Amino acid sequence: MLEIIPPETHIDFVGRRRIAYVFSALMLCAGIAGAAIRGVRFGIDFAGGTEVAVRFEAGAAVEDGALRELVTACGVQDPTVVRYGETAAPEYLIRFNKLAEGEAALADCPLAAEQREELAAVDEATGADKAAPGTTAVVDRLTLAMRETFGALEIRSVDYVGPQVGSELRRDGIKAMAIAVVMILAYIGYRFSSRFAPGAVVAIVHDVAITAGVFAIFGLEFDLQVLAALLAILGYSLNDTIIIYDRVRENMELRTKHDLFDLVNRSVNQTLSRTLLTALLSLAAVLCLLVLGGDVIFPFALAMAIGVFVGTYSTVYIAAPIMLYLEQRFGGGVRDAGSKSGGRPGPKDGGKKARVQAA
Amino acid sequence: MSRLGWRIAAALVTLGFFAFLTFANFVPEATRVASPLLPDKGLRLGLDLQGGIHWVLGVRLKEAEQQELAFLAESLREFAKEDGGFSVDSAAVEGGRLVVRAAAEGDRKEVREWAQRAGLVLASEVDDSLAYEMSSDARKAVRDRGMAQVLEVLRRRIADPIRGIPDSVVTGQGEGRVLVQIPGGQIDRTRARNLLAVTGHLEFKIVQDQAPSEELLRAKHPDGLPAATEIATERDKETDRVLTAYLLPEQASITGDYLQDARVSFDRQQRPIVEFQFNTEGGRIFSDLTAEQIGQQLAIVLDDRVYSAPNIRSRIGSRGQIEGRFSSQEAADLAVVLRSGSLPIPVAIEEERTVGPALGADSIASGLEASLLGAVVIVVFALVYYRTAGIYASLSLFANLLLLMGIMSLFEATLTLPGIAGIVLTLVSAIDANVIILERIREEVRGGKTPRAAIATGFSKAFWTITDANLTTLITALVLFEYGTGPIKGFAVTLSIGVVTSVFAALIYTRLLFSVHPGNRPVATLSI
Repeated sequence: MLEIIPPETHIDFVGRRRIAYVFSALMLCAGIAGAAIRGVRFGIDFAGGTEVAVRFEAGAAVEDGALRELVTACGVQDPTVVRYGETAAPEYLIRFNKLAEGEAALADCPLAAEQREELAAVDEATGADKAAPGTTAVVDRLTLAMRETFGALEIRSVDYVGPQVGSELRRDGIKAMAIAVVMILAYIGYRFSSRFAPGAVVAIVHDVAITAGVFAIFGLEFDLQVLAALLAILGYSLNDTIIIYDRVRENMELRTKHDLFDLVNRSVNQTLSRTLLTALLSLAAVLCLLVLGGDVIFPFALAMAIGVFVGTYSTVYIAAPIMLYLEQRFGGGVRDAGSKSGGRPGPKDGGKKARVQAA
Repeated sequence: MSRLGWRIAAALVTLGFFAFLTFANFVPEATRVASPLLPDKGLRLGLDLQGGIHWVLGVRLKEAEQQELAFLAESLREFAKEDGGFSVDSAAVEGGRLVVRAAAEGDRKEVREWAQRAGLVLASEVDDSLAYEMSSDARKAVRDRGMAQVLEVLRRRIADPIRGIPDSVVTGQGEGRVLVQIPGGQIDRTRARNLLAVTGHLEFKIVQDQAPSEELLRAKHPDGLPAATEIATERDKETDRVLTAYLLPEQASITGDYLQDARVSFDRQQRPIVEFQFNTEGGRIFSDLTAEQIGQQLAIVLDDRVYSAPNIRSRIGSRGQIEGRFSSQEAADLAVVLRSGSLPIPVAIEEERTVGPALGADSIASGLEASLLGAVVIVVFALVYYRTAGIYASLSLFANLLLLMGIMSLFEATLTLPGIAGIVLTLVSAIDANVIILERIREEVRGGKTPRAAIATGFSKAFWTITDANLTTLITALVLFEYGTGPIKGFAVTLSIGVVTSVFAALIYTRLLFSVHPGNRPVATLSI
């Protein structure tokens, strides 16, 4: 039988909690410092802006400077033009946040008179302002102008998020996160005990904060996908935490007299092989996404990969010790912990378990 | 059949059903529709996978309020003159308010009474000028009506089942937003943008004067054009040469908003014409107008361009026709424009997520590759680590995938790239459920239980652990689904269904496999 963790393993996790607290605090501070110094880089989802991914024909003579000039000529202010990928067909990512204003802004865009008129007609028909026809109109012009100048091309994607939408997405994201946390708190309070819930919540907030912090430190971009990943991390970390909680509860029911400190440690050790196995497999799956999933899914996979690490660590070193502290402090302590915790999850538990066994 | 036999049969039937739904997706759509056996629809691909245009439009509802106020100003002036027997010096929209000036206190009193009936709220009163705002109820009604109209018009232009772009979607999204999705590379961006045109703005105006060209018409009015009039021209369709310039009032007598239907027909010389019909209210206005203006010319103006200006020979009811020098194609196009009506309020693109078909195809390929490799890694690990039990876990993992894809197909859910990421995470949660069970069984065996007892205890103890752990994930997934937008939603769909199927697969299918072997046979050791 292959065993990742020998059955008699007994590592004193809870005893090392202070080291863990210090470590976590340092990580969090680093993240906050990173965010404060470098600033959080919001992607266009949250900051608003435009991102156009374009692929030219293989061998097309596209040059960064020329492309940037062309983009500027077509009514864009301060574009970022980045070449990415190492394929023969040049691929570029053009990003911008501001359009030039005034009717003259679009005048230098190298377009045939016919195209110019057609586009102007569309602008007018859609009620766009002549001096500021908007991002979509500019992207239309840019596409034609690039084709004219650099030959055949393919617009891989166009993402535009208006300022209004950006702030709404930011607000909705925070709201979703807050609601999820509150509901989870309520669920754990209901299924386990109110003394178990804070540990889980601190752990998930910890994971999300550290993952976000790593993104800030490395200047990685924070967008909707990363937010989705953070919420997935939240679910993952919680999953881990609950499995340990479940074991703690079970061990509490088993004996009426116990040393809570030792009990928590034993519970963590008993579930350790599962914790590590799942972490390894999750990491393997996420790495598959990271390596093979393509550019689009990359930020998501990266955030997940960080989150799996942090989530596993926090379950063992953060959630369990906090729960232990609250249980010792408010749970009636060592002596009647058994009867108290035994009674708490009792009413639904005993009955349901019996039924499951019968089935 | 034994009890176990029934369980196996039920499991196989369920799996067979979902496998059928899953694999039906690979059959081309035409074959599926033609076949009586296969479901017509199945899993849909998100625009990020099949490519397409995704727009969130902002409807300028403020403009609808302005229009309503302008309309009220007009009706106040008319009411004062014709029925009320009082006079106002001016009534106009200024800075989002309807400002009415009347010198005499008696007139102001009449204005106040009128305003109350019209649902206006007095915002301020300085000397002889009264400034009114719409009540919040009236404002909401105007906004709702505007939204409904915009949706209706855009649906007819874009998402009409017959004339529209296949598989496109137009839906309202929150306050003042419209989501437009046009899948595949069916239409280029500039053309698509043209679909949002405010055009199709049809107006009927009484001709006040005319001349063969704009210059000549202006020459007839050396002191400038009369107040509240404008010039519109009728042009030759081939050469774009001006045929006639008309002097028309700025305000239309009646607009295309009242139009109910428009279709191509032919006159006696078999020339194509466009017949139209107003709704009841429009019919009444039109009938009054034509009765009043017999002998005058009525210009039919579409997007500020005169299509024809026939003489009004007699009162016309709710039906009329436009005779232009149309080809049948042009007549058909005009009928569509009329029928679609005008977009009453302009819209602006506030968010765009357009993906080229090639990038979509790349994403599908890389997503599939990643999922497959993920599955292979997990299965290989399970086989090495758990041996026979690993086979069970792998089979249950596979069953879970079939369930997930089958359920998504059944609900005709949309699969997106983040959705594929969700599937990969589902694989993880499925293997996790199996790991929890198998680790528990191992523990029970170590604790001295017989294999059979260990399996029973293992499953029953793991049951609540797995349920608790996954219910919280489900809560997160549902919150994501409810509050998430765009990419997040696709992720939430697969994650929430996947959590349920992976718990089900682990607790039902893995359990069943253990019941088949070792089942009730007394075995000395477990291959786990």
